[in-house]
Amino acid sequence: MKTIQSRFGQIEYDPAKVLHFSEGLLGFESLRDFVVMANVKEGPLFWIQSCEDPEIAFVLTDPTNFYLEYKVMPDTSERTKLGMHEGEVSHTLVVVTVHEGGKITLNMAAPLLYSVSNNRALQVVLEKSAWSTRQELPTVDAK
Amino acid sequence: MLVLTRKAGEGIIIGDNIKITVVEVKGGNIRIGIEAPPEMKIHRQEVYDRIIQENKEATQWKLADLNSLSATLTARKERK
Repeated sequence: MKTIQSRFGQIEYDPAKVLHFSEGLLGFESLRDFVVMANVKEGPLFWIQSCEDPEIAFVLTDPTNFYLEYKVMPDTSERTKLGMHEGEVSHTLVVVTVHEGGKITLNMAAPLLYSVSNNRALQVVLEKSAWSTRQELPTVDAK
Repeated sequence: MLVLTRKAGEGIIIGDNIKITVVEVKGGNIRIGIEAPPEMKIHRQEVYDRIIQENKEATQWKLADLNSLSATLTARKERK
């Protein structure tokens, strides 16, 4: 186990389970390795902490928790960047923005593709899509 | 910044494998064709800038928010 500092104190993590972004996230290209933090509370949100910058952490979620139909397939060059082999599948995650007052939006215009077999991830930009960088949660009908 | 003047149908070569062509000039719009290797990322500037801005804002959260949101979202899921 190794330890790093975060905005929320010291974190102990297993280096073998670090999520590697070979290109970083947009605007954070130099930050390549992130520790996946399980949320202490039950729910769809979890967070990742940069191993290289204690100030940088992102809240993530599986977008199908909110939008069942959302699915992003990596193209050939993205599969190569993720080091994926024939037949392997990737998962899609999105970055969550927490706004003042506690409202959240999902960045569904720039999802993260995640290759489970080797813990590699990539932020991709959906150029021709109707999804927003600030996609609001769908409204839920109260029973 | 290098500034070049091009007419419709003319192009620019960058390095060994990027070719930019001015496809059409019409009204205030210029249509540009780009040939580049597939691994090269090409984005509209404003889309790219918006995503960088959103990533930056997404780092500004508090652990307390995450806890209260988790409770709200879990309740929401149960209601569904």
